[in-house]
Parts: sequence; structure tokens; C-alpha cells
Amino acid sequence: MKARIFKYLFLCYFVVLSGCATSTENGEKTSALESYNHAMFKFNHAVEKGVIRPVAKGYRVVTNEYVRQRVTNFFDNLEEPVSMANHMLQGEFHESGENFARFVINTTLGGLGLYDVAAKAGLDKNPTGFDKTMATWGVPDGPYVILPILGPSTPRAATGWVADGYSAPAYWVAQGSADDDADLIYLGVSSLKYLNKYAENIKVIESLEEGSVDYYEAMKSAYLQNRAKINAGGKKAVEQAPDYDFDMDDED
Amino acid sequence: MKKICLLILSVLTFANVAVADINKDAAVQMVKNVTKEGIEQIINSNSSVEEKDRVFRKLFTENLDLDFIGKYVLGRYWRTATPAQKKEFIELYKEFNVKTWSKRFDEFKGKEFIFDGTTPANNPNQVFVNTSVPMQEGKPASVKWRVNDVNGKLKIIDIIIENVSLAQTARNEYTSFIAKSPKGVEGLLENLRAKIK
Repeated sequence: MKARIFKYLFLCYFVVLSGCATSTENGEKTSALESYNHAMFKFNHAVEKGVIRPVAKGYRVVTNEYVRQRVTNFFDNLEEPVSMANHMLQGEFHESGENFARFVINTTLGGLGLYDVAAKAGLDKNPTGFDKTMATWGVPDGPYVILPILGPSTPRAATGWVADGYSAPAYWVAQGSADDDADLIYLGVSSLKYLNKYAENIKVIESLEEGSVDYYEAMKSAYLQNRAKINAGGKKAVEQAPDYDFDMDDED
Repeated sequence: MKKICLLILSVLTFANVAVADINKDAAVQMVKNVTKEGIEQIINSNSSVEEKDRVFRKLFTENLDLDFIGKYVLGRYWRTATPAQKKEFIELYKEFNVKTWSKRFDEFKGKEFIFDGTTPANNPNQVFVNTSVPMQEGKPASVKWRVNDVNGKLKIIDIIIENVSLAQTARNEYTSFIAKSPKGVEGLLENLRAKIK
């Protein structure tokens, strides 16, 4: 049972790296990656509509916004140490200190992170991860790739996701327990995090789909534009809007 | 000669700054009016769905430069489209957006826009009006409005939510659809017609 989660993570990572390798050689192989992406997007979409969305709708029925916010806060708090370490790796020591303070305050006064007491004291959430750290170090993002179940990603985003998973204290707590099913419990608890997030955004996701003529391209475009701020690596980039000429001769 | 050159340069510089200043302030005011009207008359209003749709349609068509956006989102296919296709596309695009956004009013209930100055665009006739929307928890969501000034008439040509440009996303999506469709632009029109029914 042990290391079951990371077998999956490595499988995802292998898929990403395969995609990366095929994409960099020539146009023909880039098309192969696009074909893979379309096929995986179709698979993910079927799983999303057939399984995840009905489960998320059921989850919304049995929970209210208050409960979902507590779940969000709980998981966000568990990720504070990961953000703390990564802010340090990015040379942002003040932000790292804020993550530490938030973790201590919310774990104690905030009932194990269920309530964001720190935000009320002026310490707002400021999450980061190894993906952003690598961006700060100048590691290229790589091509767009769709991961099984997890959805849109890039090689660097996937690497960051794996590294964040490994470095999460909750993972090491689970590993340290005597329970043989520790991995399975961790996987289940992590699934709740993603289900909660999905349930919170279900209306936006549905309206995005309804408002699209090509859902794959809409998701790809939005994902890559959103990553531009991470790729730029700095706060300045977040404050800037994407600026482009409205030139019809641009490549589409 | 040197003096004349300096005079011309200073006049041009002053003229440029003066125009940019007018655009900036007027653009902020225009976006303020749009958001105020949207929140008061649509989102927080107790009027019927039909009335909300009517007000939204008016607000949407009066303040967004749909001809400009329509041309942009069709990209290189705008040149190959027939005049009839262009005209129908603009109309369908407007209807499709009104229909899509009408369903999302509730998401914005209780929200407010905080204005945070402007950012220059690479085109001197355009400016980004920066706003943010406080969320229940965490950082506020960034919403930037790209406003275009054509002969003193201000129109919104793009909305950028958390770094995602709606115009850019639509352009990628629509041009990809046309490229894949055996019927080209006509295929897109058929799809849009079916969606707004």
C-alpha cells in the first residue's frame, strides 16, 4: 500500500516528460503531443462529467458554503509550511515568515486551520509552491500537456506539484503512522481537498463550458495565460495586464 | 531651426500627454459607470430575469465595442469572411455573450469593484483600468478593463480576469474552431446559431 500515491505521481510525471520530449523536436511531433492532449482531455472530460461532477453536486447538497470554506481553510493551512519553504527558496523571507506566522496562528487560535484568524490580523493568504520557485530560478515551463484526471499542466507545473506533495507535512505524518493504509488515507483526504475545490467552482466551470465553442482551446488558452504571471516569476508581472496589439495579422 | 524643432517636439509631447490624461480619467469614469449600473440595476436588483437581461443587453452593447472585438476574435478569418458572414457573426457573438453572462449574475452578488488607477497599453489610444473584487477570503480577484478611445468615444475592448484576457481566449478558441471545421466560418456560425436558440 505504501507509496501508492507516488507511483501515480511518477506515472503522471513520466507522461509529462514523454510529452515534453516529443514536443521539442519538430512540428510533426508537437502535433503528436496535441493529439495526445486532445485524447486525454476527452477522457478527463468524460470522467469529470460522469463521475466528478455528480459527486461534487452531491457534495454541495450535503455541505453548505460555511462547511466548504472550513474545508478550504483546513487544507490551505496544511500547505502553509510548503509555501513557507518555497518563499524562502525564492528569496522572499518576509513572505516566508508570514506563512510561518499564519500556520502557527491558524493551527492554534484558528482551530487546526478551520478558521483564518491570521487574515483578520492582516496576514493574508499568500500561497506558493515549487513550480513558482523553479520559475524564479529560470527553469522553463515546457509545453502544455493534459495529465490524466489532473488536467491541464506543463512539465514544470507537474514537477512542482510532485515536489509540493512530497514536502507536505501531512504526507510525512501519514508515512510516519503505523497504519498500513496510511497512503490510502492520505489519498482520500487529498481527494477531499480537490473535490471541495471543484465543488466551490462548479458553476464557473459549467458556465465556461456552456460559453465555449471549443472547450479544449478555451481551457488551454486560459491556463497558459494564467501561467504567464508565474512564468514571469515576479510580483511585477502579476500586476501587469497582458498587453498585445489588436493586430489581425498576428499568428492565431 | 533648433528652436523650431524644440517647439514642435514640446507641442507634440504636450499634445500626447494631454490626450493620454483625458483618456485615462474618462476611461476610469466610464468603467465606474458600467460597474455601478451593472451592480445596482442587474446584480443587486430585485427586478425580473427578463428585465435584468434587457438592462444587461443594453449595457453590454452600448459599452463594449463588439465590432472591434468581433474582428479581433475572428483573427485572420475576418478577411476571408463575406460581409454577410461578418455581420451575422457580430450579431451572434453579441447574443451568445449576453446569454452566457446572464446566467452568471448570481456569482457577482454582493461583490464590489475597487478601482486602482490605470496602466498604459502599448497603443496610446488604449488604457487598462485596474480594478479588484474582494473575495470572501484570500486575495482580491484582479479585473482589468481595456478601454479604447476612438475619436473621443470610449468603448471596452477586453476584460482581463486574473491575467486571463477574454478577447484573447475567444480568439484562440474561435480561430481554432474555424481551422478544424470543414465549413470554416460558416461552421462557426452554425454552431453559434444552435447555441443561442
